[in-house]
Amino acid sequence: MPRTEAQPLLQVSDLHKHFPVSQGWLRRRQALRAVNGVSLEIAAGETLGLVGESGCGKSTLGRAILQLQKPTSGEVRLAGQALQGLSARELKHARRNMQVIFQDPFASLSPRRTVAQIIREPLDVHRIGTAAERRARVEELLAVVGMRSNALNRYPHEFSGGQRQRIGIARALALEPDFIVADEPVSALDVSVQSQVLNLLGKLKAERGIAFLFISHDLAVIQHVSDQIAVMYLGRIVEQAPAMELYRSPQHPYTKALMSAIPVPDPARRISRIALQGEVPSPLNPPSGCAFRNRCPLATEVCARQVPELEIFSASDAGVHQVACHHPD
Amino acid sequence: MTQPLLEVANLTVEFATDAGVIRAVDDVSFTVTAGETLALVGESGCGKTVTGLALMGLVPSPPGRVVSGSVRLQGKELTRLDEQALRDIRGSRMAMIFQEPMTALNPVFRIGSQMTDVIRRHQGLTRRQARQAAVEMLAKVGIPVPEKRIDEYPHQLSGGMRQRVMIAMALSCGPQLLIADEPTTALDVTTQAQVLELMTELQREFGMAMILITHDLGVVAQTCSQAIVMYSGRMVEQAPVQELFARARHPYTAGLLASIPRIRERQLQQLPVIEGMVPDPLHLPEGCRFAERCAKAKDYCLLAQPELKPIGKTASQVACYAPN
Amino acid sequence: MTAAALPVERHGDSLWRRALRKFRRDRVGMLALLVVGSYAVIAAGVMLGWWATGWAEISGPKWAPVSAEHWLGTNIIGQDIFSRAIYSTRTAFEVGLVVAIGATLVGAVLGALAGFYSATWVDEIVIWLMGVLDSVPFILLVAAIAYSLQDSPWSMHIAMIVTFWIGTARLVRGEVIKLKGLEFVESAHAIGLNRLSIIFRHILPNTFHILLVQATISFVAAIKSEVILSFLGLGVKDGMSWGLMISESTFEVLAGYFNNFIAASVLMFGLVMAFNMFSDALQDALDPRTVKSP
Repeated sequence: MPRTEAQPLLQVSDLHKHFPVSQGWLRRRQALRAVNGVSLEIAAGETLGLVGESGCGKSTLGRAILQLQKPTSGEVRLAGQALQGLSARELKHARRNMQVIFQDPFASLSPRRTVAQIIREPLDVHRIGTAAERRARVEELLAVVGMRSNALNRYPHEFSGGQRQRIGIARALALEPDFIVADEPVSALDVSVQSQVLNLLGKLKAERGIAFLFISHDLAVIQHVSDQIAVMYLGRIVEQAPAMELYRSPQHPYTKALMSAIPVPDPARRISRIALQGEVPSPLNPPSGCAFRNRCPLATEVCARQVPELEIFSASDAGVHQVACHHPD
Repeated sequence: MTQPLLEVANLTVEFATDAGVIRAVDDVSFTVTAGETLALVGESGCGKTVTGLALMGLVPSPPGRVVSGSVRLQGKELTRLDEQALRDIRGSRMAMIFQEPMTALNPVFRIGSQMTDVIRRHQGLTRRQARQAAVEMLAKVGIPVPEKRIDEYPHQLSGGMRQRVMIAMALSCGPQLLIADEPTTALDVTTQAQVLELMTELQREFGMAMILITHDLGVVAQTCSQAIVMYSGRMVEQAPVQELFARARHPYTAGLLASIPRIRERQLQQLPVIEGMVPDPLHLPEGCRFAERCAKAKDYCLLAQPELKPIGKTASQVACYAPN
Repeated sequence: MTAAALPVERHGDSLWRRALRKFRRDRVGMLALLVVGSYAVIAAGVMLGWWATGWAEISGPKWAPVSAEHWLGTNIIGQDIFSRAIYSTRTAFEVGLVVAIGATLVGAVLGALAGFYSATWVDEIVIWLMGVLDSVPFILLVAAIAYSLQDSPWSMHIAMIVTFWIGTARLVRGEVIKLKGLEFVESAHAIGLNRLSIIFRHILPNTFHILLVQATISFVAAIKSEVILSFLGLGVKDGMSWGLMISESTFEVLAGYFNNFIAASVLMFGLVMAFNMFSDALQDALDPRTVKSP
């Protein structure tokens, strides 16, 4: 399908990823619905921030979009091309346009290869350029992520977390993708290094027009990097809005609670936390209806009966504000 | 003036590694008064965790070694105590909780038996009394149906519940000082908020002092009264939390505060950053350890390390030749 | 993170080089390596025909005592015990190397496949195979293989490989299951690398430390098993080995002549002991907890 201007770069519709789980003696097969019907779009050059607590399915969603984990059902289109049902060769080709940056800078680089080998590998796999061109490209990429070329023949373990994350970013850039999934790219880093890497990602977005799905548990980081923000809870998106809009007028009670729980680095502003009862329920056994209802201060009887759909709450130039709640403000 | 609860003076801890000796904690001194909450803040490798371990006499040795300095709890010197005497103090008068409760709890024992062991060891109660005390403690840390939960195994609990159990265990003998090493780092934000609130409440109730070791300045702002900022093994600033956030004196503290992503009215194009990296602990500079990353560094900063000095009549101390 | 775990910066410093540095500092390990090396030189000399060529000749009277001509005396039919013991070093190395390499290769490949495709039919087949082979008594298996191979001189080697790969495969399988969940493997998927390349270029190299140690363990196990099998007549067919020497010494021991028995046992003990110590030192040096950065 030819791509038109109006078409978003990435379209995800009703994506599901379920994991079979066997429990107990009788090995009753159950499905863990890690991603339970997610639809979203990302425009070229835009960043969608995906925020949620551990176990909400945000990382699985990222991997399912990239086809690193095969979705159970639903559709993912990148630049108009449907990614499911592709042959191995077609998928390999599609991968040139979508890359990933991981959280753990210690686990994401092969410990027995040099930096040059790591960054060059995508070029080798896709047979891009001659050996000399590849070498030049690797040096260029290293410079782009702010590292010196004396790093080339060294091994990942010789670098600090922030530098390793830069190497991972260089690898992701090697194929010049239009779309990158960044899965908690700064959570493992120290604060002072975290801001360096965030600025690097911001620069790449501005200069190269790369679209990001930026996954994080940290609402402050998400708010800083995102154009749009989606809040995920137990496999579903419960609220999505332009970044500033979400910050100014969160609608879903979960988003509000999440925002109020962030410890603000300002002793003068003691947080007035919206009390949430308990913890995230097991995704194996979510509550009926709205999955948030057992912790929600607003929950009523309808919440137990019916799963709230993601509906448009308001719209502005910056985008639409959608919320999945029976009782939005 | 009354005697402080804890006095730490010139504490220095070294680790022997394959490549040489690393001084993880370098000449750290501070006091904790009863009931106060002191934050030890810094990035990984700054020595905050090792400081906490050294206070408890838990520095793994070898390769670690407390080279010099003194740690006095209510006037009693701890660094020269033998393991047996230390063990009596740990748990009863001071206790520590860690970042990952799963590794601190023994997975093959029920929570109840781990708790009652601690209680019986230090308080000489009968098994039944100890169990009763454990149940009460679990109820206090907000564990629902504690008389049932007490017979569960650690893996049956969620991360937040495990950290609550750890807190219950740490507090079960009523210590005067609790050292909490990144107690909420492994938890989700909503759970973190609950656990922090719980800790503050219990601290007030027990009248206990707390040293909170963390990298999260948000947590510091919300829970602590005093803060020590560490960098590369040394204290660079100590101040009441209000002061620290209102006017960070050390350029490192100021840079750190500026670089935290926070929810703002407008999105910034760029976050302010501290350029560069922490110095290699094997090759530390002669002068100020922050100098090479410091925008204000002068020639003399490279010559000798600045000492921690009080600023005027304030309660703050800073180790910088040209503090803000 | 404690300061003790901080990475040590050295340029172009691979994990292997670090392990090597660590091994060099291990005195027991270096001594063991020296002993193993001496045995290897002896074995190589035999192979090249430099010494112990006369191991099969009857060069003296029966049960000659220790003398300048016969350093360790002679055996029941007058063969030189020293030559035979030296010659057997070559046999030990040949058996050890063939079995260690074969078992490690088979174990690595099958273990890696099973681990990578864990919980699929590939895994089930490998596990089934391991279970079946493990449940047959070793000696019976050798006898069966020897029989089916029509007394081939390699039947002993094959029997040992068939049994010894299992331990290696189990370890590799577990390690691969751990490694395949790591993000560098996902990154390899994400750049479009095919599965076999991922297994053999990204995952297996990270199990080399296990393979190396397992190979040394198989080597020692092979030498010890050879002795037992040869003693039972299931081992070395043409040639000489410590096992055969011990086997033929049974009559001599009854008659009060211990030279043959002692020569074979002591040489074997020396090699096995040194190799075990070498293996331990290697394991310490390669321990990823100390070699890898945090």
